[in-house]
Amino acid sequence: MAKFDPIEERAIEMLDDLRLEAVRAETVVHDDARFEFVLWTLCLRGVPVIERVCRSRGRARGLGEEEIELATEDAAARMLLRLSRPEPQPQIHALAAEIGAACVDRAWPQQPKPPRLSGRAPRVRLIEGLDEAIEIGQVRPNDWETS
Amino acid sequence: MSAGDDAFERALEQALDDLRAGEEKPIESYLRLVPEEDRPQLSRMLADVFLARGPGAASGETESEAYKRALAVVDEVLSSRGTAGILPGSLKAMRNARGIEPDAVVAKLAADFEVEGEEGRRALARNYHRLETGALLGSKLSRRLLGSLARVFDVDVADVLAAARPAEKGPTLRSVPAMGRSGGDRAEPPSRSGERLPDPEVELVERLFHGGPDA
Repeated sequence: MAKFDPIEERAIEMLDDLRLEAVRAETVVHDDARFEFVLWTLCLRGVPVIERVCRSRGRARGLGEEEIELATEDAAARMLLRLSRPEPQPQIHALAAEIGAACVDRAWPQQPKPPRLSGRAPRVRLIEGLDEAIEIGQVRPNDWETS
Repeated sequence: MSAGDDAFERALEQALDDLRAGEEKPIESYLRLVPEEDRPQLSRMLADVFLARGPGAASGETESEAYKRALAVVDEVLSSRGTAGILPGSLKAMRNARGIEPDAVVAKLAADFEVEGEEGRRALARNYHRLETGALLGSKLSRRLLGSLARVFDVDVADVLAAARPAEKGPTLRSVPAMGRSGGDRAEPPSRSGERLPDPEVELVERLFHGGPDA
C-alpha cells in the first residue's frame, strides 16, 4: 500500500464515516493515490462489524469456528469489491453488516456429523437400605427371565 | 435555566462522560432523561457526537482469529492492486474462503461459454491463472467474461467491473520480445496449404481475456 504524509493519513483516519465515504467516492473516480489508504481505513471500520455479524449469525446457523472465519474472509473480500464502485455506498457499518450476513447465509457444504450418543442423563434414585432388603429377601432383584 | 434545560445539559454531559470512559449506552437511554420535546434536539447532537467518534472498539473481539484473517485478506488484496485493479486479489481471496478450486472456476466458465475442446479449456485455465496472478490488463477483459465471473462467485457484476479498473500506478506488465513488423505495403504471403488454423475456441477465450470490454 502506498505511503503518504503521516499528517494526511491521520487526517483521513479522523474523518467520520460519512466524510470518509465521500472521500472514497471522490478518490475512486479520479484514481487518487490516497484511494488505497481510504479503502484500508474504511475496512478497518467495517471488518469488526463483519466479524460480529458472521459470528453471531454463523453460530445461530450452526456453523463451526473455521466456517465463521472463512465467511469473515469472504465478506472482507466482497466488501473491497463493493467499495471499488464509483457510486456512493451505504454507511460502512450497514454495508459491512449486509455483506457479512450474505456470506453466512450462502449455501455451505453439508459436513458429515459424528454420531452422537443420547444426551439424556439416566434417571436413578438412591434407595437407602435396598441392599439389606435384598439380603433378607424382603425385595428381590429384577430377573429378566421372570419379570 | 428551566428544569428541561437542566435535564438536557445533564443528559448530554453524561453521554460525553460515558463516551470518554468508553462506556457509552444506546442513545435511547440518554433520550429518556429529557422531556419529550427536547428529544429530537438531543438525538441530533448525540448522533453527531457518536458519528464524529467513529466506531467504538469491539469488546475484545477485534483480536479474534477471524478479525486478523479478514484484515490479512484486505491487506493482501490491496497490496496486489495492479493492472487489473483489485480483481485478481479479490477473486483469489473469495475462492480460497469458499474452498473453490481454480479448476472448478474454469469448468464453470467453460460451461458458460460452451468451450468443450481440450485446447479451449487449456486456454481458459491458462488465462484464468494469469488473471488471478495479476498478469492481465483489466481494461482488456471483456464484459462477458466479467459477467460470467460475477455469476460464478455470486457477486454483483457492477462490483466486478469496478474492481477490474487498473490502478494508475500499478506494476507494469512484463515486456514481451518484439515481433518483426511488415512494411505495411507488402502483399500478404500466400497461405500455405498445410497451415494449421487457430482453434475457434482458443480464439474465443483469447478474445474474452484480451479483446477489450466489448469482445
